[in-house]
Amino acid sequence: MSQILLVARRDYLAYVGAWGFWLSLITAPLIIAILMFAPILLARAEPPRVLTVLAERVEDSGAVTRAFDTMAYDDARREVNAYVQAATPAIANEAMAAFDGAPNRAAAIQAARHIVSMRAPRALAAFPNPSPRYLLVDPPVTDIEAMRPYLDGRQGLADGRTLYGALNLRRVDGAPRIEYWSVNLSHDEPSNIARRALRLEMQREALTAQGVDPREAERLQALDPSVAQLDPRPSAGTGEVTLRQRAPSFAALALAFVLWSVVFSVANMLLTGVIEEKSNKILDTLLTSVTPLQMLIGKLLGVAGVSATLFLFWGALGGTLLSMAATSMADSFVGQIAAAFIEPRLIAAFAIGFVAGYLMYGAIFLALGSLCESIQEAQTLLGPVALVLAMPMMLITPALDNPNAPIIEMASWVPIFTPFLLLIRAPAGLPWSEIAGMGALMFGAVIVILLLASQIFRAGVVNQLSVSSLFGRKAKG
Amino acid sequence: MNAALEAEGLVKRYGARTAVQDLSFSVPQGAIYGVLGPNGAGKSSTLRMLVGVLRPTAGKITLLGGPISRQTLQHVGYLPEERGLYRSMTARGAIAYLARLKGTPASVAYKRADALLEAHGLGKMRHKKIKTLSKGMAQKVQVLASIAHEPDFIIFDEPFSGLDPVNQRVLEDTIRAQAAAGRTILFSTHVMEHAERLCDRILLIAHGQKAFEGTVSEALALAPSVAMLETDGEFDLAAALAPRGFNIEFDGVEHGNKRWRARLENGKGSRQLLAACVEAGAPLSLFEPARASLHEAFVSLVGDKAMPGAGE
Repeated sequence: MSQILLVARRDYLAYVGAWGFWLSLITAPLIIAILMFAPILLARAEPPRVLTVLAERVEDSGAVTRAFDTMAYDDARREVNAYVQAATPAIANEAMAAFDGAPNRAAAIQAARHIVSMRAPRALAAFPNPSPRYLLVDPPVTDIEAMRPYLDGRQGLADGRTLYGALNLRRVDGAPRIEYWSVNLSHDEPSNIARRALRLEMQREALTAQGVDPREAERLQALDPSVAQLDPRPSAGTGEVTLRQRAPSFAALALAFVLWSVVFSVANMLLTGVIEEKSNKILDTLLTSVTPLQMLIGKLLGVAGVSATLFLFWGALGGTLLSMAATSMADSFVGQIAAAFIEPRLIAAFAIGFVAGYLMYGAIFLALGSLCESIQEAQTLLGPVALVLAMPMMLITPALDNPNAPIIEMASWVPIFTPFLLLIRAPAGLPWSEIAGMGALMFGAVIVILLLASQIFRAGVVNQLSVSSLFGRKAKG
Repeated sequence: MNAALEAEGLVKRYGARTAVQDLSFSVPQGAIYGVLGPNGAGKSSTLRMLVGVLRPTAGKITLLGGPISRQTLQHVGYLPEERGLYRSMTARGAIAYLARLKGTPASVAYKRADALLEAHGLGKMRHKKIKTLSKGMAQKVQVLASIAHEPDFIIFDEPFSGLDPVNQRVLEDTIRAQAAAGRTILFSTHVMEHAERLCDRILLIAHGQKAFEGTVSEALALAPSVAMLETDGEFDLAAALAPRGFNIEFDGVEHGNKRWRARLENGKGSRQLLAACVEAGAPLSLFEPARASLHEAFVSLVGDKAMPGAGE
């Protein structure tokens, strides 16, 4: 086995043998799962918030109540539609037609559920049971002052529930005024819903005052343009841009974040790994057997192996879960996203960006680590390192918005940005010649940086060149 | 005898500071060769140049018949002054790993690691992690790691420092055993006794320059001999022998007798000293010619201030 592989193997086994590795291996998917599902579970677990409406005019109260009902209906429709599109795309239109044909929210949910139970019974178990965000109840008292004990929790409603808030709809000089009473001071969604409802009510009143027929007024208020997004490229066909067309961009964004997080997570490993070897005084011994360049590459491969192990495990876990989900979601968005990941242009960009980006950034971190005398000194370096790593991320959003903007095109040819921008630009039809050009650029940059890093590494570990000595300060520790 | 190592005009500068200046020496094959000198004399810089860790500013090194290369270094074992091993590795793993880096096949490396640990009383520690070993044990493991690939040339930088007297003796035996197996050994030390007991040839470095190179006997011959004497009563031996050309210093009173130290210089030996004492009527109660030590030899070569331990 060559020296490079021996160094890589030792580093790999040292990291894999540490308990922190196993902790990351197990906890990361758990934390991601918690982060993904906790908000959904929390939202589902939370009972509807109980609101009441006091109004001087029955029209105002009616408008606000209808707004809340409409919102509950729309939320339910969105949730049911998302589920049937993902889980039973073949019958999604039929289920939603049943939903839309029902007279009210509860009947609509039941109608869609019925279609799923008849046509795709396997998908029934996870069929959503949407609950409204707000439940409107009759006011327990007719005066807002008398309602204070109900609102601050001193007194419950007759059925034992607690009143979350009250909308007091008044008229001041003929104009609606909304007073929203609640002890939850940071949450003002109910007042915003009421405001939108009463604005429409004010418009309706104004229109009817002008002699417009109430039905015509309602029609005018409902006017809303439809929006379609289309791709002019010949390969895109004539249809609207769908998830299938957008998926590669989402996949590229996901891969860019994966690359970024890998580089960021190994930065710490590489920095501290070299410092540990410096403090263990083992480098002199090793350098009689391996060159600094061999050691640098070996260490990069070792840590790359650790990352690969983590990602293989997480990938296998995620893949298993996805395939389990996909059995009941054939041709669904899961399949479309998965198809986006195997787009050749994206695979080429990822291979170039990931490998070259990892090697380039990794070599820089190793060289920096070799200049540090202690973990504390390395930690002070992590701040500037994080800033350097933040720079490519700052360009990702503009690159997603306009992958062919001149500034993005130019930045794509600057090696520290290339790996990330190559990934983001690849799905936007980046020519193969440019992908190859950036690959050649990265290859050259990696060679140059590895050679430079090995010189710095040698200077750091052999000649005791350090950050402290560079800045003329005596090293501590 | 063929030279295992030849250094010609070695120079090492760190910025404006010169650590090694025009150093030339030759290590015969199969010899135990000592590099001696006080702290900061340039010993470690010299040794690090010999194993390719440091690049000389100027000069030429011929190691095992060729220039320093990865190939020649495969046949060199090196124990650096600043010692350390991977703390989370086992003793067996650490020895085998370093042997493998030198090109030893895995199965051979592990077998040798086991054999060496067993032979040096660390057999039960083979699966213990380095961080659980005592400092002395860890140092022993590192010495073993430096010879596990059975190198032709072994370079130890201050191998005895940090070891207790028992383990120093064990290390001396290891060095002799390696030499007996036909290997060339070069080690640096500032403890003259080790060099005196072990070395065939020595190199004395002071201020980065060669002060002496040769055999131990040649070095000792450079040191002035001394003799210790004791006289009864108030007799002033220094005054009595000064006219006869002897340099004698009062060395204190012991058991009621005056003790004197005579430096035997200018071709005058212990026989002439004794004759002079008899002629002067000195009431001698002790006459003890003493063999010069390497320390004294080097003091005479470079002076007190440059010697190991000066100012410590």
